[in-house]
Formats: sequence, C-alpha cells, structure tokens
Amino acid sequence: MRDYFKYFDKLTFILLLLLPIIGIFLIYSAGHSTQETHYLKQAAWLLFSILVFFIVFSLKIDFIFRKAFALYLVLIVLLALQIVMGVTVARTKSWFRLWGVGLQFSEFVKVPLALYLARVLTQFELIDGRIFFKLIAIIVLPVALIVLQPDMGVSFIICSFIPLVILLKKIKPMVLLVSVLLVASSGIVGWNSVLKPYQKDRIISFMNPAAYKTSTGYHIIQSKIAIGSGGLNGKGYLQGSQSKYQFLPARHTDFIVSVIGEEFGFINTSILFFIFFLFFYRQFRFNFMNDEEFYFVCLFNGLVIFQFVVNVAMAIGFFPVLGISLPFVSYGGSSLLSFFIGEAIIFRIKINNYLA
Amino acid sequence: MYLSKRKLSPEYVKKTAFISTVFLIVIFTGFLLAFWSIQIVNHEKYKQLAIRNITRVVELPAPRGMVLDRSGAVLAENKINFTLYLVLENVDNLEKTIARAGFFSGKSLADIRQIVETYKKYAKFYRIPIKSNLPRGTVIFIQSRQDEFPEFEIGMEPSRTYPLADHAAHVLGYISEITEAELNVGSPGTYGLGDNVGRSGVEKQYEKFLQGLKGSQTVIKNSVEKIQQVDSEITPEIGDTVVLTLDLKLQEFVENLLGNENGVVAVLDIATGGVLALVSKPAFDPEIFSQEMGREEWQAIINDPQKPLQNKFLQGIYSPGSVFKIIMALAGLQEKLITPATSVHCTGSQVFYDRVFHCWKPAGHGTVSLYTALQNSCNIYFYNLGKKMDIDTIARYARLMGLGAPSGIDLPNENSGLIPGSAWKMNTFHQRWFPGETISVAIGHGSLNVTPAQLLKLIATVALRGRMPKLHLLQRIERRGKIIKEFVPEFYRVPIVEENFERVIEGLFRVVNGEGTGRAARMPGLDICGKTGTSQILAKDNPRYKTLTREKRFMPNSWFVSFAPRNNPQLAVVVLVENGGDAGAIAAPLAAQIYKKYFENERLL
Repeated sequence: MRDYFKYFDKLTFILLLLLPIIGIFLIYSAGHSTQETHYLKQAAWLLFSILVFFIVFSLKIDFIFRKAFALYLVLIVLLALQIVMGVTVARTKSWFRLWGVGLQFSEFVKVPLALYLARVLTQFELIDGRIFFKLIAIIVLPVALIVLQPDMGVSFIICSFIPLVILLKKIKPMVLLVSVLLVASSGIVGWNSVLKPYQKDRIISFMNPAAYKTSTGYHIIQSKIAIGSGGLNGKGYLQGSQSKYQFLPARHTDFIVSVIGEEFGFINTSILFFIFFLFFYRQFRFNFMNDEEFYFVCLFNGLVIFQFVVNVAMAIGFFPVLGISLPFVSYGGSSLLSFFIGEAIIFRIKINNYLA
Repeated sequence: MYLSKRKLSPEYVKKTAFISTVFLIVIFTGFLLAFWSIQIVNHEKYKQLAIRNITRVVELPAPRGMVLDRSGAVLAENKINFTLYLVLENVDNLEKTIARAGFFSGKSLADIRQIVETYKKYAKFYRIPIKSNLPRGTVIFIQSRQDEFPEFEIGMEPSRTYPLADHAAHVLGYISEITEAELNVGSPGTYGLGDNVGRSGVEKQYEKFLQGLKGSQTVIKNSVEKIQQVDSEITPEIGDTVVLTLDLKLQEFVENLLGNENGVVAVLDIATGGVLALVSKPAFDPEIFSQEMGREEWQAIINDPQKPLQNKFLQGIYSPGSVFKIIMALAGLQEKLITPATSVHCTGSQVFYDRVFHCWKPAGHGTVSLYTALQNSCNIYFYNLGKKMDIDTIARYARLMGLGAPSGIDLPNENSGLIPGSAWKMNTFHQRWFPGETISVAIGHGSLNVTPAQLLKLIATVALRGRMPKLHLLQRIERRGKIIKEFVPEFYRVPIVEENFERVIEGLFRVVNGEGTGRAARMPGLDICGKTGTSQILAKDNPRYKTLTREKRFMPNSWFVSFAPRNNPQLAVVVLVENGGDAGAIAAPLAAQIYKKYFENERLL
C-alpha cells in the first residue's frame, strides 16, 4: 500500500483534477447569464468520476482486459437499444435517462473499444486483408450505431482508432491502399446518405464562414471574436461579452476554449494548453510494458489527444463544427466519467510497471 | 485464442514516447501560434467586432425650442404625444389582442390586422405603432392595468403644439418628418429618419436654433437584441427659445378683425422694423402636420385653390393699384418734374398715345395739384406725370423704395414681385416698351406686381422720411435663459430728399383727414396718413376665380397702406382684402380699428 502511494503519479493526477476544476469555473461563467446550473451537475459528476477512478484503479489489469470484449458487447447492445427507445435531446437520441441522470452511452464506448482493440492487436504482427477487415468491423460497428443516434462528434472521434491501429502495426501496402480508398468512398457515401442537412451546413460553412455569417458560419465567427477580443490578459472572469450576452454558441460544451480565451486571454489560455501538454507528455512516459497495455495506452492517449486537437481547432475555425467537447474541461458527465475510467487504467498500468 | 503477453523493449517504448512528444510539441506550438495570431496580432479587430456585437447607439430626440411673442406668451411649444405600441412577443391570443387594440385606438379590426401584417417581417420584440395621439384617458386606463395587457406599451414622444391653432399660422409655419430623399442629400449626422424639420415660417427660418441638440444612449444588447443595460447617455438639449416681435393681443385682434375675408393684414412697429401682427387668410392649423396625416388630407391642402399654406404677406403677388402713386409722386418730385404747385385739369378722361385713359371718377376732379391728386387718388394727374417720365425712371424709383426685390423679412420663400421695364419686356416678350404702357404703370396697373410685405416696408420708409427699416419678426433667441442673438434695428437711407417725403406725407395725410379716399380711417386725436388702392380683378383662368361667389368675382382687391402718427410715426399698417371692393370703404376702416386698439392699449389716445 505504501508503495502504491509512493509510486502513484501524483503530479499527473493533480493535472488530471485541475482540468475539470478549471472546467467547472468556465462552465459557471458560460451559464451564469442564463442562470444555468450545469456547473453544479459537473461538480457532482467530477466527485463521482473520482470515486469511479479509484475503483477502476484498484482492479487488476488482467481482469479488466479479460472483460474488455464482454463490455464491448454490452455497450453495442445498449447503443442499439438506445436507438430503438432513446430520448430525443437536441435532435439526437444519444442521451439516455437513467434514474433521472442523462447518460450518453456513446461516450462509454471509448474505453472498452480501446481495451478490446489493444487485445486484438497482440494477436498478429502484420495487418493483412483479413485482419484489416476484422479491425474495421470492430471499430465501425459502434461507430455506425453512434452515427444513427446521431452523434457525429463522438463517432468521428472514435474513428481516430483506425489510423492509430495502422500506425501501431505494420501493414501490407496493398491493404493500406484499399483502406485509403475505403475511407474516401465511405466519406462520399456518408456525405450523401448519412449526414443530415444541418451537419452538412456545418461542414460547408467551415470552408467559408463569411458566406454563412448569419447561420452556421456564425458559430465560428463568434468564437473567433470571443477569443480575439480576449487579447493578452482577457476581459476578466464573468466579463466576457461574447459569452455573457450569448453570442457564443455551445459555450459550456464545444466552445469552452472560447470562454477561457475571451475571459482569461492569451497568457492563461497558454497555461491551460501547457497543463494539457504536460499531462499528455506524462501519460506517455513508461519504463517498460507488455504489448497489450502499450497498445491500450497508445490508443486511449491518441484518442484523447485527437479530441483535444479537433476541439481547439474547431474553436479557431481550423476544423468544422462537429459537436466535439474539450476532454476533461467541457460540460458532460458521461464524457468526464469515461475519460476518468480510461485514465484510471493508464495510472494502474503505470504503477504496475514501477512495482514490477 | 490469445497469444501470451510479451514484454516490449524499453527502447521501443521510449521511441514511441519520443515520437509522441515531438508530435505534441508540434501541435502545441501550432496552437500557440494560432492563438497568438488571433489574440495578439488581430486583437484590435476582434475587440471592435465584439463591441459592435453588443453596443447599439440609440438617438434621443431633442425637444424643439419654444416660440414666444414679445411678452412671453407661448406661440409654439411641445406636448407629450402618447403612442400605443403592440409587442407581438408578449401576445398570448392574437385575436383578443387585435380586438383590444381596436377598442383602445378606435380603429377598425381590419386596419389593426393590416398594421400587424406590415410589421410581420420585424423581430417579435419590435414595437409596432398602433396609434399616436392617444387620449389621456386611454393612456391611464392601459397603464393602470399594464399586467392585464402585457402586449401593449405606451410610448411618450414630444410633439409640436400651437396653442393659437390657425392664428399666426403663417408666421410660425409648420414642421413635418424629414423624408428619405432629403436625408440622402443633406449633410449626414444632423438629421435621422423620424426627425422633424421646419417647413415654413419661423419653424423653417430658425430651424437651426429650434432643433436643439440630439442626445444619445449607448446600450448593451445581447445576441437577440434585448437591451441589457444602458452604458452611457448624452442627454439631449432643448432647442433655443425664439422670441418674436409679434404682439399676441394685437395678433388675435387682427385675426378676428379680418374675420372670414381672405387677405393680408400686417402691423409694423416703425421704430424698430418689428412686425407686431401678421395675418394671412385663409390659414391652416400647423398642428395637423405634426400628427398622422393621410395622403388624401395632404393632397387636399396642397391642391386647395385658396392656397391656405401660402403666406400671402410675402408670397402673394398683387397689383398695387393706386398705392403706387406714392412712388410716382416721389419720383416726380425728386426728378423735379413736378412741384406741389403743379396742377392738372381732370375731366374724367384723357387721350394719351391715341388711346383714352379714364379717371376712376367719371365726372372728373377738376383742377388738381399734387396734394389733391393724392387725396382723391386722381388718375389723370398721374397719367400726365407718367407721360413725363420713361418707364425705366419709374422702375428705378420703385426699386429704390424696395419694390421688385424681397423685403428681406426673416421668413423663408419670399417673392420679389415684378417691376416692369424696357429691358424686362425685351427679355420676356422680345418686344420694345410702348410709351402707352407707362401710362398704366403710373397708376399702379399694367405688369406691376408687389407683395404686401413690400408695401408695408414702403409706407414705413415714407413715414420715416426716407429711412428704410429692415423688417423682422425675430426679437431675440435665448439659450438656457441667456440671450444668444438679438435683433438690432437696421435702417437704410433712401437717396430721396426728406422734403419730398414731407410733401407726399401731406398728400397721404389729406387722404385720411381731408375728405380723401381713405377718410373712413379718420380718427380724432390721431394723425393717420395712408393711401388706398383698388386693383384689378382676377383673370378667369386663375384657379382661385372659381372659388369666389358670383358677386365677389367682379370685386377688386382693396388696399390700404398707412402709418400714424404723422410726426414721430409709431405704427404702419398694410391691409389687403382680396375681392373686397372699394378700398376706402373696406380696407381703410379695418386699419382704423387697428390703430384704435393699439393706441388705446398704449394709453396714447
């Protein structure tokens, strides 16, 4: 037990706690003009997530990996059920109410999928055609169910596993070519049959925000105005006019970076980025590992980093607005809990390495 | 069937960590640069955009300045105009609301629907004006039950009011909303849509002073244009107070004196050139222009052949008739063509240039000198004088005495009238001047045209023996109780010797006091001097012709221009009764009553 405390990565854990705490302050600012109580819910979710973190942390790593496939299947079933009987929230069925608490099952797919993929990745050395289709099937099955919710943001984020598995393993050149063609064609099919008009609008307006000034390009323009008007030092906490007077859309979720940019300025936004950087950096530092754990760490870290990059790029107009939140910071209990579970496993893997 | 777990070499793990770190550094550097560009390099641009997002400048209209008479009586001021607004955002049941709006405004439900329809494209929180000039009772009713009618709002806007109604209307003029076309040509910044601007009279002449200084309010609005707070406010400044030389009591007296007759009466304080009363009939109520006015109403006023909007004092052009004999007498004396002793025998008619010219008295006046010619307004005497002069000499004296040019009174859109001359005829008709025409001009007929303002100035100049006053209505302008502009009387010396004025005045004295044509104006104890004039009737094609009754159509216009007393003159009066008939019987007695009223008030009689 002593050793556990000694080798527990306390600095990284502090960074991990710091991010949602900063988030709660920003969520409060984003909602105070309209008397939203999101910050209270998020605080409750944080406490619950910390509790779950330590429960997961106390589990044996082998046990977790052994249950990965079962967890994966359970979530597929839940997602399918949600489509059939889901509650429609903001045009999507992705929220499921359980004992009065909204649950977004799509968020919980991230960890079991990474675990299961890590496990599968240990079974071969080279990605050939058969294995490639197996991997694609494992990833696309939940993605397809999430697309049907529809939740473009989460499904897009989960798709980041596809390039990650290819990067982690050697791949046959032929298979790589096929996979590129497949991505391209599924992009075309997706555009024509899966994406809803408002989602297409978001993507088109990203290409040319000025032409969509009053509709969907509005989000990007208002976000850039918020960030840019913050300047070096920001306008002060609760003083951001873009946020206070509701020019900024989805302030507590997708555009929370714009809130910190506006109210805290360049210096403090850079500090937030530095916290993220330090956290990611430290989550990659291991002495030695077995392959299964290594793949999980890479996949899960990769996913979090990808989501971070896409969210920030979105806020400054470098990426279409897809409804992707900032990991650990944005409002969203399911997302926070899911990330904490994933991080708990990484912390456990890390301490196992020290103790081994 | 899983393979057994394999340990990866620390080198391999380290390599992966290194690649990820490099990747992270690249990403974070990129983000920092992007944020630097947005937050530092382009900060000013985005800051302005953010400010533009939330701030709106709302103009606060300035109350218009007051117009007062010489003793401070109010001629034009502002009142609060209550307007009923409908806000769709707060409507619960539209049909109920429309019924209520109809009840409050007295408008038909179809009209209300029409109004609501017109504003459909506006945002839900827009205030739709339903009715202005809401009666006070309705205002109190709605305001006391505001929670029952949340969809209605009462707006308060200043509105112009004229307590005298149609009295002194032409002096005061009227205001109306500026049009979009005018806004496009005018200097930017001064006026905005919805602002009122003076259109005639003092309202137009002193617009610059009366309009006041607009204020503004900078408000903070949110993304759906709801006002969150007032950021800063510049309070509007009321327009300056314009004090006129007008004497309200005298004005009202003259208004009533003229009654239903059409025409002009103006009273001048000779010593200062200030106009004490000015009436032009028919008149209008300036307040109707400050209210909602339909197109038909406007067209009716504009197309009225009686031209109620025209200030006949300075815009109406008339033949001066025998009043012009004053100019002839002055010219003849100054040019030394006649002396007071020069006499002419009047037999009722005389032939000039193969044409018979008549005196107004068919029996003739017998032997007349200058004084008796003026006294009895003998045409034959002045025909003979005209024959001795050429038209351009007559025109020169007419101009010297202020005819043919605006009188210069401080009111807009003044007419010049017309002084015929040889050059004028050549330019206009491409014909030379015939000497026979000069004979007509000598008794004030022919192409001569004057305004009552010019004749008032003329008689005042005669009264002052050649010192021509500047006519004015403005006494002073006050800003916050301080005088910022005050009229200083101005006089111009006419190059005609004083002695000749004295001689003409003797003639004008006899007109009233020597059994002359103006004897009806005679008043014991006051030496009134004046001249009657009876001028040509309307041509048949004049649109006003049809508006007259059968008997009036053949009645000439009656003039009486006069001043009193003879020495140290104080008051000059011009009276013009359109189609009044015999000037001595119609115009002169009106003047007499004005003198009586004035000098009684001044305790001089």
